[in-house]
Amino acid sequence: MRKLKLLACLMVILAITAGLSGTSVRAADPVKIRWFVGLGTGSETEKIPVQEEVVKAFNESHPDIILELEIVANNDAYTALNTQFAAGNAPDVVGPVGIRGRDQFPGAWLDLSDLIKETNYDLSDFDPALVDFYNVPGQGQLGLPFGIYPSFLFVNTDLFDEAGLPYPPAKFGEPYVDKDGNSVEWNMDTLRTLAMDLTVDTNGLTPNDEGFDADQIVQFGFGAQWTDLRGRCSLFGAALPVDADGKAVFPESWSTCTQWFQDAMWKDHFHPNGPYGGSDILNKSNWFQSGNIAMVQVHTWYFANLNDSKFNWNLAVVPSYNGKATAKLHADTFMISKATKHPKEAFAVLSYLVGEASGKLTTLYGAMPARKSLQADYLAKLGESPAFAGREGMNMQVIPDSAAYNDNPNHEAGLPNALESSDRITKFWTALENDPAFDLAVEIPLLVADLQTLYDVK
Amino acid sequence: MATISTSFPRRTMDEHQIARRRRRILTTAAVTLFCLIILSGYLVPVFYGLISSLKTKDQASDANAPIMPMKEITFTYEGEAYPLYEVPLESGTKQLALVKKGRASSKFVDPQNVEAGLIDWQGNWRSLPAVREVSPAWENYPEAFNKIDFPRLLMNTLVYGLVTMFGTVSASAMVAYGFARYRFRFKNILFIVLLGTIILPPQVTLVPTYAFFISIGWGGTWAPMIVPQFFSNAYNVFLLRQYFLTIPREMEEAAMIDGAGPIKTFLRVILPQAVPALTAVALFHFFFAWNDYFGPLIYLSGRRELQPITVGLASFNGLYSAEPQLIMAAAVISTILPLTIFFIAQRVFMQGIVITGVDK
Amino acid sequence: MSVVTESTSQVIAARGHNRRVLTNRQREERWGFFFISPWLIGFALFTLFPMIASLIFTTYDFTLSVPDEAKFIGLDNWRRMLFEDETVWRSLWITIRYAFLSLPIGMIVAFLLAVLLNSKHLMGKAVFRTLFYAPTMIPGIASILIFVQVFNPYTGWVNRIIEVFGIKAMGVTGLRWFDDPNLIYLAFVFIGLYGIGNTIVINLAGLQGVPTELYEAATIDGASWFTSLYRITLPMVSPVIFYNLVLGTIGSLQYFTVPFVINGGSGYPDGTTEFFMIHFFKQTFRFSNMGYGATLAWLIFVIALVATLALFGTSRRWVYYAGESNR
Repeated sequence: MRKLKLLACLMVILAITAGLSGTSVRAADPVKIRWFVGLGTGSETEKIPVQEEVVKAFNESHPDIILELEIVANNDAYTALNTQFAAGNAPDVVGPVGIRGRDQFPGAWLDLSDLIKETNYDLSDFDPALVDFYNVPGQGQLGLPFGIYPSFLFVNTDLFDEAGLPYPPAKFGEPYVDKDGNSVEWNMDTLRTLAMDLTVDTNGLTPNDEGFDADQIVQFGFGAQWTDLRGRCSLFGAALPVDADGKAVFPESWSTCTQWFQDAMWKDHFHPNGPYGGSDILNKSNWFQSGNIAMVQVHTWYFANLNDSKFNWNLAVVPSYNGKATAKLHADTFMISKATKHPKEAFAVLSYLVGEASGKLTTLYGAMPARKSLQADYLAKLGESPAFAGREGMNMQVIPDSAAYNDNPNHEAGLPNALESSDRITKFWTALENDPAFDLAVEIPLLVADLQTLYDVK
Repeated sequence: MATISTSFPRRTMDEHQIARRRRRILTTAAVTLFCLIILSGYLVPVFYGLISSLKTKDQASDANAPIMPMKEITFTYEGEAYPLYEVPLESGTKQLALVKKGRASSKFVDPQNVEAGLIDWQGNWRSLPAVREVSPAWENYPEAFNKIDFPRLLMNTLVYGLVTMFGTVSASAMVAYGFARYRFRFKNILFIVLLGTIILPPQVTLVPTYAFFISIGWGGTWAPMIVPQFFSNAYNVFLLRQYFLTIPREMEEAAMIDGAGPIKTFLRVILPQAVPALTAVALFHFFFAWNDYFGPLIYLSGRRELQPITVGLASFNGLYSAEPQLIMAAAVISTILPLTIFFIAQRVFMQGIVITGVDK
Repeated sequence: MSVVTESTSQVIAARGHNRRVLTNRQREERWGFFFISPWLIGFALFTLFPMIASLIFTTYDFTLSVPDEAKFIGLDNWRRMLFEDETVWRSLWITIRYAFLSLPIGMIVAFLLAVLLNSKHLMGKAVFRTLFYAPTMIPGIASILIFVQVFNPYTGWVNRIIEVFGIKAMGVTGLRWFDDPNLIYLAFVFIGLYGIGNTIVINLAGLQGVPTELYEAATIDGASWFTSLYRITLPMVSPVIFYNLVLGTIGSLQYFTVPFVINGGSGYPDGTTEFFMIHFFKQTFRFSNMGYGATLAWLIFVIALVATLALFGTSRRWVYYAGESNR
């Protein structure tokens, strides 16, 4: 029985501790603001200290606010943040996060319009189009421009040299000059021809050669790395699987695109299929870093992966399709959760992150700053970063040029019933890249029908 | 071996003994060998993990040297290091450094005769065997160790594991004894409820559980993971109950007749007999705690200094970068301690037999 | 320790004498509740409320990101689950079918390995036991990386080893473990065998408890190794096997992590990996639909509970409790 009493005592103590810690916030105390990182980049080991520095600098300059950093590894950040939202324990500021990450939490974000007006926030340093990018009909201004990540081709020049092939062009509109000196339009067909010459099996044969062994490929020609169907198909022009009336469609360009990629993986073999893409020889999905692929399309956030690369590489522009080049764009921002109890203080933090700290943070995340004032010396600073330091003749102008060819509508733009329709599209792509017998003629109508059902739900 | 025994025909009783001993040795050898074969098959993925932890990224993605961590031997020519290949020449096969790769022909240099300049070799360099040596990337280990704060992460995990192990084993043994030996009202229903707490998927109670712990101010502390363990854990209760049910009642009844109360009987009679099971439960709990991930992740996301090793490991797997070789190295480091504990606990298993007095 | 408890029990005993005499039955009941009190309190404090809350969720349209907008919708979630959502029944069927494949294999392998590791003929037991346990200790994130690689159709070790035996295994016409609807369950069962360390140890602990006199007696009677295994070992460790069976059943119905990580919850190939808990997880956390997710969770709860109770029902026939002989 004494034990029972002991237990009872323990319970009382627990209850009291709980009560105390729950009521310890007094009115005069500085406001606590929680900044959640993990939906995009930022949770990697080496990126944590810099963000901690930013928090420290903020806290030193803002005595009325205590900023707390919460970092959750990307894999689990969505579940963790959902749990926090659902339990009424939402963080105040969330980011960096892209469009897709934002749309995972429908209705959770605060419209910043009033705060911008109230604080007379100076938007003149931003491209108005970019400000508008975060204005979501029905939900309001959900973020301020922070950093953009244009995409382009990363080219392994060693592999081009080995094959004796000239590099792809570094300027939009320029043709590709092939090894015989002929100028050809830099389009998806040229990319295909070039990529096939750069695909090699273990015997040194290319898919053009007799006896090429597709089961023993050791080097691939081209890959659209770390993206999905919508991202890949942006190469064929920006398009959405929904029309103006909310009807599900499979855009014309997507039909071409899915056929192109299916052939690239299973017929021409120059693009890694699912199993190859996850294998050791392509560095378990970090393709370009393996040195075994000649060209990939990735965004600026990839640079840090090339800090200690043993091979030579350079940048090139994406090829055009039907005369038009489209370089998909990622754009990150910070957001404030609707459930915050301190919107003003949270906005102060957000202003700091997209303002004073944005130079430091965009560099950390590998983004091109959205602030025009910072863009001027962006390339110069990037040139000193570990990925570029010591390399000569890098086509850095490709980066800002590609930003101008961004995909609009964006490949991450919201769809009706976004969570479920995106899942359905992913399912389509998973089968396409893993199953050689995937039948586009059958699967496309099925996808459209399913999407229509999902669109109709909400 | 057989000839030895026939050449010494001593018709004594120890010949019989020798035969028996030999049979025993043979059985031991056969059983051990059999076990070894199964083990080596079973451990293939573990070998893969170990070897991956010893490869650099380049070694991992080298399609031609897939198993062991090998390095191409290089020769430095005009300030650049070039890999050596076995090149068949008219004068026989020679080790040459590949200076310029080409599809139809490549340029080599002879390390023994640099002055001769570049040798133009017609053919496909991919068909040539590279000169390699085994070169484990031991540096992955210090790199992984230094990249995250290993000592602190391990310490946090260790403290969490040990504290909750003590709590859950004592509480669970008590509860299990109650369910195994006593008759009381609603016992069956209560036991079903206990099992029900295992049966309901934990993900569905995640949100209310989290809300509850946050509301009582336990966010950012270890309390949500630690305190409940002191009130027993359904898995452990069930396992110990099963074990207690196998212990014959005679000794308890004898103890009761000698005037021992229930607590004394529990401590003096039951627990000593259950040492193997208690050890198992303690180990399981410790390993569960060692690998516990999601709880610490969500409750301690803002408190990096409190996080356990699992959460630290996850940060190697970023969205836009991945360090598989570091994940492997860190995983190996973090596995060593619990495996050592397991190894030592083996002794307790063996001793368990002695204490219970039912063996030997 | 022992001094304190001794005096405690004396005090309790003395009190018992002073009070009016309790019947044996009442005393036993009190002690029973005393022993289970930690669990009762812990359950009431930490588990009961979340369980009830999750049950209440089933009657709500509850989007995780906006808890304030949760709407009471009565039994709509239940109706949708039982009558409108085809995935529910398909995924249940997949889950149960897989359980019937993986559970017996896992249990038999774990039992035989435990017998082997308990053999008095085995040299270096401690090392073997530790090494067989090693895969269980590998952190989840690393083991997933490992299995995706060793099963890779082009470069994986599994296919390389199979090719040593002259079977075409590598490449697109070979054994594509995670792409072939027929092979994928085999691969999953194989991966599952790397998580049986605990089951082996539980069996081992059970085997330690078998009195050796029984084996000696059997040997004298001329029983073969197999007969002893069947007649002595199995009945004596049946309580432990029963535990493994119950937990294995519950675990199989909640099978989730491996298919989720390997196929990302896409159901690929051909919907074969659309296990029930994947459907649950997607609804709850990917589609943010906590209300419907909770409903699914409670369905699997009911099914697993019925299965568990059924197992308890059969246990009377085959589980032997030495300590319960007088009941």
